Order: sequence, then C-alpha cells, then structure tokens
Amino acid sequence: MKEISLSSPLPWQEKSSEQKGRSLWQDALHRLAKDKVAMVSFVVIVFYLILAALSKLGIIFSNFDLVNNEIAYQSPSWEHWLGTDLFGRDVLARAAHGTVTSLTVGFAGTGLSMVIGTVLGALAGYFGGKMDEAIVWFYTTIDTVPYILLVIAFSMVIGSGLNTICLVIGLTFWVNHCRVMRAEFMKHRDREYVQSAVSLGASHLRRIFIHILPNVSHLVLINFSLGVVTAIMSEVMLSYLGLGVEPGVPSWGMMISDAKLELSRQVWWGLAGATGFMFFLVLSLILFNDALRDALDPKLKNK
Amino acid sequence: MNSNPNLIEIENLAVEFKTDEGLVHAAKNISFSIPKGKTVGLVGESGSGKSITSLAIMRLIASPPGKITNGKILFDQKNLLTLPEAEMRKVRGNRISMIFQEPMTSLNPVFTVGDQISETLILHQKLSKKAAWEKSIDLLNQVGIPKPAERIKSYPHEMSGGQRQRVMIAMAIACEPELLIADEPTTALDVTIQKQILELLANLKEKYKMSMLFITHDLGVIGDIADEVVVMYKGNIVEKGPATNIFSKPQHPYTKGLLACRPSLDRNPNRLPVVSDFMSEDGKEKPYDMSQLKQKKTNRVSSDEQNPVVLEIKNLKKYFPLKKGFLGGTQSYVKAVDDVTLKVRRGRTLGLVGESGCGKTTLGRTILRLVEPSEGSILYNGTNITSLDRESMRGMRRKMQIIFQDPYASLNPRMTIGAAIAEPMYIHNIGKNKKERSDIAASLMKKVGLEASMLNRYPHEFSGGQRQRVCIARALAVRPEFIICDESVSALDVSIQAQILNLLFDLQDEFNLTYVFISHDLAVVKFISDDIAVMYNGKVVEYNDAISIYENPQHDYTKKLLSAIPKGIS
Amino acid sequence: MFKYIFRRTIYMVPILFGVTLLTFTLFHVVGGDPAVLAAGKHATPEQIELIRQSLGLNRPLYVQYFQFLHQIFTLDFGRSWSSRQNIWTMFTQGVGPSLSLTLPAFLIAEVLTISLALLLARWRDSLFDRVTKITCLAMLSLSSLVYILWGQYVLAYKWDIFPISGWDPSWAGRWEFLGLPIVIFVLLSLGSNILFFRTVFLDEIYHDYVRTARAKGLNESGILFKHVLRNAMIPIITRVVQEMPFLILGSLLLESFFGIPGIGGLVVLAIQNADFPVIKAMTFLSAVLYMIFQLISDVLYAVVDPKIQLR
Repeated sequence: MKEISLSSPLPWQEKSSEQKGRSLWQDALHRLAKDKVAMVSFVVIVFYLILAALSKLGIIFSNFDLVNNEIAYQSPSWEHWLGTDLFGRDVLARAAHGTVTSLTVGFAGTGLSMVIGTVLGALAGYFGGKMDEAIVWFYTTIDTVPYILLVIAFSMVIGSGLNTICLVIGLTFWVNHCRVMRAEFMKHRDREYVQSAVSLGASHLRRIFIHILPNVSHLVLINFSLGVVTAIMSEVMLSYLGLGVEPGVPSWGMMISDAKLELSRQVWWGLAGATGFMFFLVLSLILFNDALRDALDPKLKNK
Repeated sequence: MNSNPNLIEIENLAVEFKTDEGLVHAAKNISFSIPKGKTVGLVGESGSGKSITSLAIMRLIASPPGKITNGKILFDQKNLLTLPEAEMRKVRGNRISMIFQEPMTSLNPVFTVGDQISETLILHQKLSKKAAWEKSIDLLNQVGIPKPAERIKSYPHEMSGGQRQRVMIAMAIACEPELLIADEPTTALDVTIQKQILELLANLKEKYKMSMLFITHDLGVIGDIADEVVVMYKGNIVEKGPATNIFSKPQHPYTKGLLACRPSLDRNPNRLPVVSDFMSEDGKEKPYDMSQLKQKKTNRVSSDEQNPVVLEIKNLKKYFPLKKGFLGGTQSYVKAVDDVTLKVRRGRTLGLVGESGCGKTTLGRTILRLVEPSEGSILYNGTNITSLDRESMRGMRRKMQIIFQDPYASLNPRMTIGAAIAEPMYIHNIGKNKKERSDIAASLMKKVGLEASMLNRYPHEFSGGQRQRVCIARALAVRPEFIICDESVSALDVSIQAQILNLLFDLQDEFNLTYVFISHDLAVVKFISDDIAVMYNGKVVEYNDAISIYENPQHDYTKKLLSAIPKGIS
Repeated sequence: MFKYIFRRTIYMVPILFGVTLLTFTLFHVVGGDPAVLAAGKHATPEQIELIRQSLGLNRPLYVQYFQFLHQIFTLDFGRSWSSRQNIWTMFTQGVGPSLSLTLPAFLIAEVLTISLALLLARWRDSLFDRVTKITCLAMLSLSSLVYILWGQYVLAYKWDIFPISGWDPSWAGRWEFLGLPIVIFVLLSLGSNILFFRTVFLDEIYHDYVRTARAKGLNESGILFKHVLRNAMIPIITRVVQEMPFLILGSLLLESFFGIPGIGGLVVLAIQNADFPVIKAMTFLSAVLYMIFQLISDVLYAVVDPKIQLR
C-alpha cells in the first residue's frame, strides 16, 4: 500500500550527501545480485554459453558427428552417457551441440527482431502522425496472422536452414516489442524531462537517443530475454514440421522430432537428452527474465 | 456505562516497514486520543507517518511489508490491534469508516455508486437489496448530490471529482459510524470544491455526532475543521493540543516553522521563514523573530512603466481537437487557451492562477512553443516567435526557460545531474570544453544551494526539493532572461516550498529575471507575483497588480476563489 | 452499437488490404516461382511453362494481385496441389473435428486455470502459491512436442488407457479418440494460463478500490470474487477471445499426432507436401478470423467495462 505519493521523498530515502552517484543500472545490478534465483539461473545460462562455445570450437564433444552404424540405438552406458541414435552417434554430444543451434537461433533471431521492433516503435511513438499510422498499420497487419502460421508461411517461402530460421524469427517476432516501444516512446515524449530538453533546445536525435532510449532500454533487455525462449521453442516446432535446420546439424528440435519414431522402439534417451538440455536452459531464461523484470522495474515488485 | 470522554485511545503505537534499504520505523511511540464528537486533525508533511497511523487504526496496513510492532488502540474498551480479523471486519465500515485522497481510484470503476453504497448497508445492517438502495438514495441526498434517484445509477467515471468524494462520504457514513477517518480527502480537489467538502464533513459530523480524524498536510484546512491538532514529524508526534493553542502559541520549533513558512494572504514579506530558521538539524530550537521580515519593496509592487515589455501575448488561442469525424475531419474542440492577451515587463513576475483545467498550463507551454498555438501572436522582445523556424527558435530557447511541477519527472533518471546541467550549455555552445562546463555547473549548484560534490549523482538520489533546485540550476545554465515556473512548488512540502520560493526570489534579484509563475495556490501566487491574471475556462477573467486583485477583486470568479481559501490560520 | 460495429468493420478494411498484400507478396513475389514448385522436381521446362500459363503467372503482378483478390472474395482458394481437393471445402470440413477437440479442452482449461488463479491470489505468497508458480514456470520450459510424445508414449502406448490415434466421424465414436488429446491440450494450457490469470488478479489487488472495499469491512473472498474478478474481466476477455481463432484453426501438433482430420492436421500435411495454396489460404483465413474475434472482444469490453461506450 502506498502511503506517500511518489512525488515526495520519504526521509529515510534521502541518502547521505557523501555517497557517490549510483545509476539506476547499478541499482538494478545490486538488486539482481541479491536475488538468489537470478544468480543461479544466470550461472546456468553462462554454463550453457560456455558449453556452446567449447562445442563449437571442437574442444569438447567433437565426436557429435561420428557415425557408427554398429552401435545404433544403444541405451545409456558408461561410454555413451545418454546412449546413441539411429546412426550410432553419441546423444550427449549431439545434445550439447544442439545448444549451439538453439542459442544461435535465440540470440540472432531475437536480436534482429529487437532491432526492427525498437527502430519502428521509436519512429512511430516519437514522431506520431502519418509515420505512426503507417507503422501501426504495418504491424497490425502482421499481427493479424497468428504467429505460428506466419512463421510457417515465412519459412515455406524463404526456405529452411539455420540462417533462415534466424531470419524468419527476426522478421516475425518484432511486433510485440514494437508495440511496447511505441507506447513507451509516446509516453516518454510527453514526459517533463523530455519537454525540458525541448525547452533547452535539444534536437530530435538528441531527445531520442540521449534522453528517451536509455529510459526504455531496460524493456529491450526484458523483451530480449523473453524472446530467446520463444525463438528456441519455435525452432523445435519448425524442426518437427520439417522447416528446421539442415539435416545433420545437431538440434534439439530435430532430436525431439526423431523421438516420434524412436519411442515406438522403446528408445527414450534421445528425447530425454534433448528435453533435459532444453528444460534447464529455458527454465533459467524464464527465471532470469522474471528476476530481471523485478530488478529493472522495482515498482512492479510484489505483483 | 462508559463515561470515558474519549472514543478512541492510541497508546505507544509503532509501525515498521521492511524495505530494500532496511527496516524503516514509519511511526514510533504514537499516543493520542480522539474525544467523542470532536475532530482531531493529524497534520504533517510527507513521510511524517500520519497516513500510516490512520491506516493502523483500521488495521489496513499491508503486511508484508508493514507491521504494527507495538502499542494499543483502545476503542470501546477493546484493543483493536488484538481483535480477531472477523471481529475487526464488523468494526470497519460500520463503527469506524474511512475516506481517501483519490476518490477516482478509491471507488470501484465497474460498479454503480448505488451498488457500492448499498454494499456497506447490506453487509453491516443486513438490509434487503431494495431497502439498501432506498437508503443509498437518501444518503446521496444528504451528501448533496442533485437528483440522487437518477445519479445513483451512475458509474464513478460519470461524476466529477467533488461528486466522487461525496459518494465516498455517503459510503462512509452509511452505517452511522462513531469515527470517520478522512485521509487527505480534499488534497486532490480544487480549492472551491475543497471548501464545499469541508463544510459537508463538518455538517455531517454534527448531524451524526461522529468523531472525526482528519489527516492533512495543509495547516489552513486543519484550522478550519479541527478541534484538536496532532502534529507529526518523521514518525513522531512533536506536538498535540487544542487547535487554538497550536495556532496561537505553538510550542515545538517544528510547528512554529511550519506555521510561519506558509505564504499568507494578508502579509507581504520579501521572503518566507523556513523551518530551519526555527529548528536546528538536531531538533533544537533556534530563536527567530518574525518581525525582522521586511516588506516587499514597494517599487516592485507598484506598476512601473519604465521597464521594457519582455513578453507580449496577443489574442493567443490553443484549441485541441476533441473528436475526429468519420473521415478525419474535426468536429469539436476544447478551447484550452481562448483569446488571451497579456504583457510582462522585465524583472517582474506575472502570476497565472486558476483551478485545474482552466488552461494555465497549456498557456505556459504555448508561450514556449512546446505546444504550437492555434492562433494569435507571442512577441518576445518584439520578435513574434510563433513564426520562427526551428533553427531560430532553438536560439530563442536560450533566453526562455521553464521549470516544471514534478521535480521527479523533469530530470532524466539515467543522467547524472552534472550531465543534466551541462547539457543545455553543450547544446548552445556555452563554455569551451567539458571541464569549463563542469565548472560552470559547479558554480550553479552553489548558487541554488547545493554542493558541487553532488554533480556525479543521479536524480533518484535527491529529495524533491533538491531536485527542484537542480532543475532551476539547469534552467539557469543558459543564462536566460525569462523563466516560466509551471506549478514549480506545488508538489513540494510547505517547508520545502518556502525554501524554493525564497530561492526564486533571490535569483530574480540577482539576474534581473522575468517570471511567469503558474499555480493553483493563491497564497503562493500572491507571495511571488507583482501582477496576477486569473484564468477560468481558457480565458483571463481578471488581470491586475497583485495587491489590487486580493484587496479588491472585480470578477465573480476571483471573489469565489478568494473566499474558498481556508482561513484557518491568519 | 450497430453503428460502432459498422465503423469498426470499415476500420478493418486497411488491415484486410494489408493481409492480402502480405500473403500475396510472400507467396507470389518472395516465394519463388509457383509454377516450378507446383510442377514438382522432375518436370521439364515445357511442363513448367504450361503450368505457368494455366496459373496466369505470365501476366503482370498487379493483374495477378487482382486475380488473387477476386479469388479471395469469392471464397475460391483454388485446389490443393497434393490432394486436388477444393481448399474451401477442405477448410469447412476440418472445422468440425478441430472444434470437437479444442472447444471442450479450452473450456475445461479456462475454468480450471481461472479458479486456480483466484485461489492463488487469495493465498498469495503462501507456500501453495510459490510452489504452483514454480511448477507453472517449469511446465512452460518444456516444448509442447514433449508433452505430446510422452503423453502418447506413456498413457496410450505403455498403459493403454487411450487409443494411440485414430478417428471416428460419428459424434458418439469420436470421444474415445479425443480423450488423450484433450488431456494434453489442458496440460499444455496450464502453465501460461495460471501465470497470466494470477498476474491479472494480483494487478488488481493493489488498486485503491480494494483498500476501500477492505475499509468497508468486506472479507478477502468477497473482495476477490466480487470486486477484483469483475475488474479482471477485461484482460480475461481479451485473452479468451483472442484464443478463439485458434480453436477453429485447431491444434497443429495434436491433430497431426492423433490423426484428427481437423484444420491443424491439414496444415501440417500441407507443409510436408509444400502445398502452397493451402498455406496461403490458411494464412489469409486465420487473419480474417482473428479480425472477427477482435471485433467481438471489443464489443464485449463494453459489456464489462462501463467506461467504454460503443459509439
């Protein structure tokens, strides 16, 4: 319950004048550091990043593509912790390499969509008028097609493969973020600190980049971390529909799709491996996003 | 049987809040009582713990983060703090009820006001739906809602702010409570509405023989309504006693300071006393003689025609399109500024006063072309700025500055205040390099009463008053001639408000600044202005020098405004 | 009211135009030469030219676009490349099976999750609340494919509670096959629904009017079920109505896994066969459905929110 209006400080909030300035980002970082769940999930995410980097560089799990038909569908053993697949390839190694695919799709695809969404949202929200109408029309149109069909339609016409998936996700996922950015820019444009900047003679570029953008950038970060989850999920879905990565490229989506046939032969470890790897990454991302939201926007706390 | 003259007795109440910064003692050792049939005014600035205390009586403090750690609240010989929740619910809304500051958000938007008033009656008096509805109509009538039988079916958003507060009051008195707690009930309202609500509360109190606990930051209001006053400061009670005593013979230095720092209509000091004149940092009393205050320089008040006209507004209009027609054509307008003509001379202050929605803020922003005018001209030193292109306008902005109401919203939260003050210098090429600009910023900080060492800090690390000082420093950075103060002290506590007003006065003398001072607070405007324009519905209804307006108001609206000011203290 | 609906329909025109432009650009401009795709891998250049002629692909783009518009407004989406069936007929035939899966499952899921979320809001920050929240987050971390695969493997294959897949067109017979997909549909909705509704309720609980209701002496349950629920109806309606188009479109994965001849299964089949006309038609039709339900949700707002007046 709010006892005191926000416009007036509580005496205990006044800090001693000796203290050196601490920006809102630093404040948020401190809050994040105090949050145990956030720290654990962050460590897990970093672990995945290291795993992906080492696998990609061939330092670990370099046997992921080693075909050996003699040991097809072996159940987990000391040699192959998560067993082998149809071609006798090590499931653990493939799952580890799937991290590379998932993180690439997640980061590149979402990154692209954040750029598109932020730029269009900023233009629409800041300038308003005809520019706004055009951009709103554009994203409403895109938004009218259900996301999954949109992704499918894009994938079908552009083709499949890792790079294409990144592109498709980048081109389809920006709408929500754009809507948020537009609303934020609209709100901040009329805020008194921006109006002060106008009265001081600040140019449009200065208002957009020096004033408003830093004040909405935390939302980019929040939407980004959430977008990564959607992108990873979309890759799995596309892989099952046959619109996924190139054959042979290790991906969790492919492994999960393959499980449809494997399960009828009692081969469960392929599914278990991919699911397990994916579960901990996605869960950590969701938990970290949750904590990020609390840390960056303390007003939302307790909700 | 119960001969206790007090309805409620609070003993040693303590409330704590858990925050990120640690445990906060929001109220400590609070003891006072509310006599039967009397009104106790609980007064204090923000953070004083006055609202927390009132919520504690209702046991409405959200837990977590809040917690009542100590004390007793005796009501009808029972301690409310130890009452089982089910018993407490029978007290709430029935024997003790409460009204809040924001009637809009405090009413449920999706139910009719009739539903919301009846709910209390059905709950506590077990009335039938129909009987409760009938009684609700009667209650609406009692609180002065015209045509209650029709208005009862209205939703909160269909009513005005004052009416909503009346509905809240109807809801609160529905079960004829013994105690009515009013938490800043008039703060969100215009002064003329405030007067009506205060009269209504006083009448209802008499009629139902209620006790009332009236919480406010406004000493004027408290003087009008309270029999006894409790003054709170930083979670403690610093003084309590009969209202007349508190106002005529305040004991505690904080109370003295608080009473003195309020601008008053019938004095003309050249500066306002501040709380720190009466009380040192550690709470000790300092001797202070009110009579040492000088009168405003008379030559400032008398209209001198020698000074050149800095700003001249001719037939200025600003219309906002209200509704778009089917094919985009506009059908109706809100006339926010409707044919305003004004003149401001160098070194003087024009006060723009009016209630919410009168167009004073739009006028201020239109003068700076933060909002483009629809019609009319704005001459600044003879140049019509409405026709300037963007580049020349940018040059002009160096001379004209604005200080906004909310010091929290008008600084970029992600910029250090050093950068904020340096930014206008960078834009207008003042100072050769970063170092020089930073030196100028440091000297400006001193000028507005802050320390230069604070330049590296961020806005959220400052208090409201300090932030407003930063905004003033930033406005001064371009060495302007003309500053618009748009409700610049309205969001501040009275004690801080006095400091900022004094600062604005000093700066005007030092830099020969011209001000347009926009405010809803007539006392503040009177203190700072040489001339005053009263605005109503987008028009200037009266325009004269400050003294004449207050001593001899001509227009009916001005008279109404002046008579609505609480006369609690003189 | 009718004036409002009429005006909203007019406002839909530019969006509809945008959707036709989007589908046309995607499938006719970006998507390579439809004739090559339609002819298959082993076609000779002459065959391709013939198809191009018959599809009208030699004409200028704007003519093709008007042709496309004409098709759409006459509900003539052409024939499927793989099955040679009329696409509109395929669509109308698929609606029934899709709805018989999604509608009951959706109703069960909504009632279940809204009630659960109310309970969570009532006992917010309790152990029950926190455990449920973590469970929901964990459920969200699994791909829907995983639910279907494990569900089918364990419940149908191993334990034999449900048939593995299949379909009976008669109304009485189809429920046997719908049991498992409905269970999985509900499971899939749990995580995100509960978290969403919980947030909606908690958003309301910190409003001032709730404090007023407490000050009146109402108890927590009364506050929640009367004051909060009514206010929360607006976001709830938005969500529920916006899910509606997906009910008609069915579930891609569930239908293809369990052999339900609904629209979702149709789409998956079309993807596997690179059946462009079907996907094109579905993209367009789903957009139209989405717009219709958007309008319905706007009208419903006015029912629950007195502040909104339809003019």
